[in-house]
Amino acid sequence: MKEVIIQGLSQAYANLVRMFAEFLPRLLVMMVIVVVGFLVAYGLKMILRAVLHVTRLDRLSEEAGASRFLRMAALPSMTELLSRSLFWVTWLGFILIGISVLGVAGLQEQISRLFLLLPAIFIAILILFVGLVTANFLSRAALLAAVNAGYASPKLLSWSIRFVIWALAVSMALEQVGVARQTVLAAFSIVFGALMFGLAIAFGLGGKELAREFLERNLRDKKKEKYEEPQPL
Amino acid sequence: MAEESFLADDFLRQLMSVGEVDLLVGVPTYNNASTLGQTLYSVEETLRHNFVRQRAVILNVDGGSADETRQLFLQSGEGRDANHNKGLTSLRTTHRISCEYGKAPSQGLALHNIVAAADLLRAKACAVISPTTTNLTPSWVVNLLRPVYSESLDFVAPLYARTRFQGLLVRDLLYPMSRAIFGQRIREIYCEEWGFSGRLASQCLEKDVWREEAVRARPEAWMAITAISVGLKCGQSFLGPKIAPPTGTDIVEIIRQTVGNFFWCMEANQAQWLSHSNSQPVPTFGPDHELSLDGIPPSQEKIFELFRSGVSELEPILGSILSQDTHAQIKAIARSDRSQFHFLTELWVKTLYEFAASYHHAVLNRDHLVQALVPLYRGRLCSILLERADSSADAMETQSEAVCKEFERQKPYLVERWTVNR
Repeated sequence: MKEVIIQGLSQAYANLVRMFAEFLPRLLVMMVIVVVGFLVAYGLKMILRAVLHVTRLDRLSEEAGASRFLRMAALPSMTELLSRSLFWVTWLGFILIGISVLGVAGLQEQISRLFLLLPAIFIAILILFVGLVTANFLSRAALLAAVNAGYASPKLLSWSIRFVIWALAVSMALEQVGVARQTVLAAFSIVFGALMFGLAIAFGLGGKELAREFLERNLRDKKKEKYEEPQPL
Repeated sequence: MAEESFLADDFLRQLMSVGEVDLLVGVPTYNNASTLGQTLYSVEETLRHNFVRQRAVILNVDGGSADETRQLFLQSGEGRDANHNKGLTSLRTTHRISCEYGKAPSQGLALHNIVAAADLLRAKACAVISPTTTNLTPSWVVNLLRPVYSESLDFVAPLYARTRFQGLLVRDLLYPMSRAIFGQRIREIYCEEWGFSGRLASQCLEKDVWREEAVRARPEAWMAITAISVGLKCGQSFLGPKIAPPTGTDIVEIIRQTVGNFFWCMEANQAQWLSHSNSQPVPTFGPDHELSLDGIPPSQEKIFELFRSGVSELEPILGSILSQDTHAQIKAIARSDRSQFHFLTELWVKTLYEFAASYHHAVLNRDHLVQALVPLYRGRLCSILLERADSSADAMETQSEAVCKEFERQKPYLVERWTVNR
């Protein structure tokens, strides 16, 4: 009895030692991969930062109004944001490779899935960024045009444009990463359709008089209004 | 040569057949068949009677007219040649060339073709004449060409007689600001008729800016500022009142073109103006201004309303362009009653300088920044209309001069904001 117990324990100890002996080199390989990954990611970050400084991306972002939003969200400048994103995406990739080297059963498949998702996440971030810049630019252009033309509720118009573009960008980004595709599509269709339908009803029925006034002011009386201002040149 | 790359082959052939000329008159057109006859008559009369011994060419550059403007240009030339041969005073043939530079009108492309032709033909004096001016007389063309040809000036701006409520953007913004920044007292750098030398044409042709939106929109002002910047001689010549068919006053578009162009020129020539102060008078032929008291003051109610709503609706945008103090002052006057409303000159100048510096630092899209100035211009306009409604012509001129002095006084503030690191 005693011998059986000792034999079992020694067998377990031998297995543990063997497993540890097999695992330790893998752990070391993983750590090497993670360290190398860190260095590569850091190098890429510095290169991208230098390239973006040369191309004056921050200035473009400032002009397009994206920087204001980043500041509001307590985020760094556009150059810094993109460089850091590249650093983390690259390093995360190396970390995942390192983890897969460990050979833990069940983890391999999850890591492969995550790997497949990485490019989609990056594209989704890019879509959100382009959406943010476009929404900001177009809503500001609409606001200025509406204010200078003396239209009523210019902010409403501006925010409507911003909202529609944001909604479009968010739904496209979620679609890209494959999060609840059907739900996102349905939600977007419902929101967008409801908005358009609401506007159509508002102008067609509820705002009939307002629409008439609007059209009259802008088509019939436009010339009269324009000439109120003296010849500037 | 640079111009060989963009001038059409047929146009080049026509230019080569002319050879060298002393005078070139450019007539940019776009659907101007109804008024072109009078323009051509004035130009030809000028060349026939005032430049008898000089070789001359009239150059029509067309933006794709659909009303046979070009045919009219060429046919009218044939008819007048017959009269000319019957014994008028000119000793030389006046050549006529017409080219189509595109299918849509563009002031910049038209001028690019004119200066390329002037350079190729080695013209000594050139003038650009607008066919939309219905009261153009031969004296206008003489007044633009002679200072260049005989007095060796390189840029001659027109001076127009105005009614008191005409040209307020020029008198309250463009002239005083250009005078303070570039140091030359030229009243009308934004114009449709002007004269320039072959020397200036060659200098302009060498610049790689013709594709810039600001230059395409108002090339004449860029040309004037280039002449000042490279140290060429500039002057101005009185033409009289200008009558053109009403085209409406789209103030937003006009400010985008003129102020956008001016800010762009400030940026492009900053090395020249940052170190200079004060302004110098330029040679002036005829009276340097003529203001009549004609005209009914326009209603200020709508203008004030647009100013007030603009300041309120654009608050975040103005906040990113203006300093806190200036923004607060503008918000305060926007809250005042219309009868008590004053947009003081000091505040107006400070506002414009802050806009110019923000344009330089690109705090937001530059076209948007210029558009954000429109409500503030309306506020200043309303203030002028309230303050100067009963002023005499002399008093208005005195007030305009005071605005110019204020722009010059505050120039160090502009330099400070312009050069600060952001």
